[in-house]
Amino acid sequence: MSTRTPNRPTTKKPVSNSANRRRDNAQGNRSAWLRHHRDCASQSLMRLLRSPVSSALTWLVIAISLTLPTLFYLALSSLQAQTEQWQEGGQITLYLEQGLPDSDGDRLTRELDARPEVARAYYISADEAWTSFQETLSINRQALGFTDNPLPASIVVVPAQQNSSQLEALQLIIRGLPEVEDVQLDLAWIDRLNRFLELIYSVVTGLALLLGVAVLLVVGNTIRLAIESRKDEIRVIKLLGATEAFVRRPFVYLGIWYGLLGGVAAWILVTAVAWWLRSPLTAFLNTYGLEANVSWLGFTDTLVLILASIGVSLAGAHIALQRHLKDAEPR
Amino acid sequence: MIHFDQVSKRYEGGHEALSSVSLHIEKGEMVFLTGHSGAGKSTLLKLITRIEKASSGQLRVNGQILNRLRRSQIPHFRRNLGIVHQDHQLLMDQTVYDNVALPLIIAGEHPKDVTRRVRAALDKVGLLEREKYRPIQLSGGEQQRVGIARAVVKKPAILLADEPTGNLDPGLSRDIMELFSEFNRVGTTVLIASHDLGLIARLNYRVASLQDGKLMSTPFEGRRT
Repeated sequence: MSTRTPNRPTTKKPVSNSANRRRDNAQGNRSAWLRHHRDCASQSLMRLLRSPVSSALTWLVIAISLTLPTLFYLALSSLQAQTEQWQEGGQITLYLEQGLPDSDGDRLTRELDARPEVARAYYISADEAWTSFQETLSINRQALGFTDNPLPASIVVVPAQQNSSQLEALQLIIRGLPEVEDVQLDLAWIDRLNRFLELIYSVVTGLALLLGVAVLLVVGNTIRLAIESRKDEIRVIKLLGATEAFVRRPFVYLGIWYGLLGGVAAWILVTAVAWWLRSPLTAFLNTYGLEANVSWLGFTDTLVLILASIGVSLAGAHIALQRHLKDAEPR
Repeated sequence: MIHFDQVSKRYEGGHEALSSVSLHIEKGEMVFLTGHSGAGKSTLLKLITRIEKASSGQLRVNGQILNRLRRSQIPHFRRNLGIVHQDHQLLMDQTVYDNVALPLIIAGEHPKDVTRRVRAALDKVGLLEREKYRPIQLSGGEQQRVGIARAVVKKPAILLADEPTGNLDPGLSRDIMELFSEFNRVGTTVLIASHDLGLIARLNYRVASLQDGKLMSTPFEGRRT
């Protein structure tokens, strides 16, 4: 029979002793767990680097899939910054009744200026308008055949809010003023532009989702192949008492590495393309007299890009593990 | 240590691999399991390792009733078993050392203990100087000894072997069996499935014989350690 000494009953030992042992055990387990995470992370990376060509193909596909929507996003945010500048120029001109005294015009301007929906309002008297008109055309009123000033006084209102419903509300208020003869509002194009941007934004979002699914599938398939090639190993370690989490861990890290490398490669690609487009775009925009502000990915955007890449890759890895680990039970 | 009570195993399709097997192996015993191929030896071992689940009857291994074992408990249960396969099931892309270390790493042992225990196990099977080799560089007998080192490195309570000498010549087979006897002498319960009746007869241990899924006899034929 066994030569081992039988276990002494634990109840006879002091309680604190066994509690200590439990704590030591828990600490040991935690450090073993951390050790395995560290080992899996480094071994998965080594595995990935050992077959550089095939792994590069995977993370390049990830990078390209992420580059497209990111570039669209960059273009869109540049465009939005540009249109915000244009919208600043969005103003409403109020033509006042002929012969309205300047004092009334001033008062009305001050009233409008005080309104919260108005960024600023300024008064252009009939004389000022007439002077500036003549200066613009470099002629005098006699040459035009006018003896009197034909122009009305006007108030230029720059709205504080540029979204279309608030603009319409402001417009209604202004039209209701008795001193106002006519309102000229050239804001319809801003509305159209905003709707166009919304449309593009939806297209970019849809594209990003679609390409996100592509990344999911690519990583899922790569992890599936990795599981497939290590099926025998998985069977062996399961028989040696490996838990489900232990078996999954190296593949989860493989997913993280693909995501990280893909994300970084995407960042490099995006930056390269933005740099490449910078000078032709500047030249193009300059012909319209526009300031070119090609944006680069900022710190937050970069972080979001890389985290999104890791997140999607992890999801791909999880799907593959869910579906294919079942086939690797010991036989 | 291993208690089969009226255990049957039916596979899908109705084939009954084991029918009403009752077998009791005490702690510290060494038992051979024989029978022609298809008699149910492998099925019996698969039930003990909880690769398969019994269709009826009760199986108790190392104090645990296997039918009641939850999925999440299976890995921890298996850590008390040492399993030797006919084809040794080594990881060919890893060194001998890494292969033997595997059960300890899975159990989360400290690296210092891992080194010490792997060396001890390799020393026991006489392969200490081969630790940096890959299994492919070793002979069949050496590979099997690596498999045994891996099975015993955690000092399991139970050692199971499925045709451990199936691919080896008689001389090597005797060495391997002698190794199992040594582990048994220090208190490990050992169950070996083998059809090498000549070898078994010489070794003088208890023999359980399966035929068409039924246990023919479990007479006490040999010494008890």
